[in-house]
Amino acid sequence: MHLTDKELWTLIHGMGLGALFLMAFGGGVAGLWSMRLRLVTKEGLEERTPRMLIGTTVMAVAAWLTVIVGTWVVYPWYRATPPEGLDLTVQSDALREFPRYWILASETTAEWHNFGMEWKEHVAFLAPFLATAVAFAVLYYGAQLVHRGEIRRALLIFFTLAFAAAGIAGLFGALITKVAPIV
Amino acid sequence: MQTTEATPTKPNGPVAAVFLATGIGSLVMGIFVVLNEVSPEISAFLKFDANFGLGSGVGPLSGKATLAILAFFVSWLVLGLLFRGKEVKFGPILTISLILVAAGFLLTFPPVFEIFAP
Repeated sequence: MHLTDKELWTLIHGMGLGALFLMAFGGGVAGLWSMRLRLVTKEGLEERTPRMLIGTTVMAVAAWLTVIVGTWVVYPWYRATPPEGLDLTVQSDALREFPRYWILASETTAEWHNFGMEWKEHVAFLAPFLATAVAFAVLYYGAQLVHRGEIRRALLIFFTLAFAAAGIAGLFGALITKVAPIV
Repeated sequence: MQTTEATPTKPNGPVAAVFLATGIGSLVMGIFVVLNEVSPEISAFLKFDANFGLGSGVGPLSGKATLAILAFFVSWLVLGLLFRGKEVKFGPILTISLILVAAGFLLTFPPVFEIFAP
């Protein structure tokens, strides 16, 4: 039982922050969906609104931390350049320490980088933007959201798009880590 | 309890501002993903880690991400001031925001941005 620093940060990025965001989605959608006058009492609304605010704020913070840690901590290890002289056309044990180059060394795995990582590293940034918009609107309106159906519906769309962006990034992150783990 | 129009609520301007800013941030990310493919000079400029010390070993992603984040927060600030205290037509704002976000999704999709590679 031992984790290297790199494995620990990869775990924090994917299984910690990223998973927290994705798992909280269901609760957030259910909360937003049910914030309607005909579905909640005044007391129910007072009980639910702070929970919605905490939930959406945590999701937004988790989304930001996921992309920041992913981009500035984990990603440099993924794209680290091998020393000169190392054969970049053979998936050798020595090349395993340089996941991007190991993946690209074979046509059978190259698309994990060319498609998977290239999409993941960019689309992930849409998630914190979308999640921040949702959290801000919940903070701004609070219980008044029950009177603003058009905004509540828009928040559901934004929330779902945030989940989609994070889901794409998370899925490819997990699969690429399985193909070429950062060790 | 069924009529919502009669209930006074805060004006929607600040929420409209963050929705539009989300679209702008997403589009800016997409645009720089494409520009990074189009031009080696722009790709070199986008290495904010090497050029401005924003991280180490991140490459052009450091510039793309930083500029998209700046676009999001600056446009949120500007639009927030512009829409402060105002009730705006939310439907068109949402439509524009969704189009911009969709453009962001599209331009970050490898089969699309690779079209622009020389």
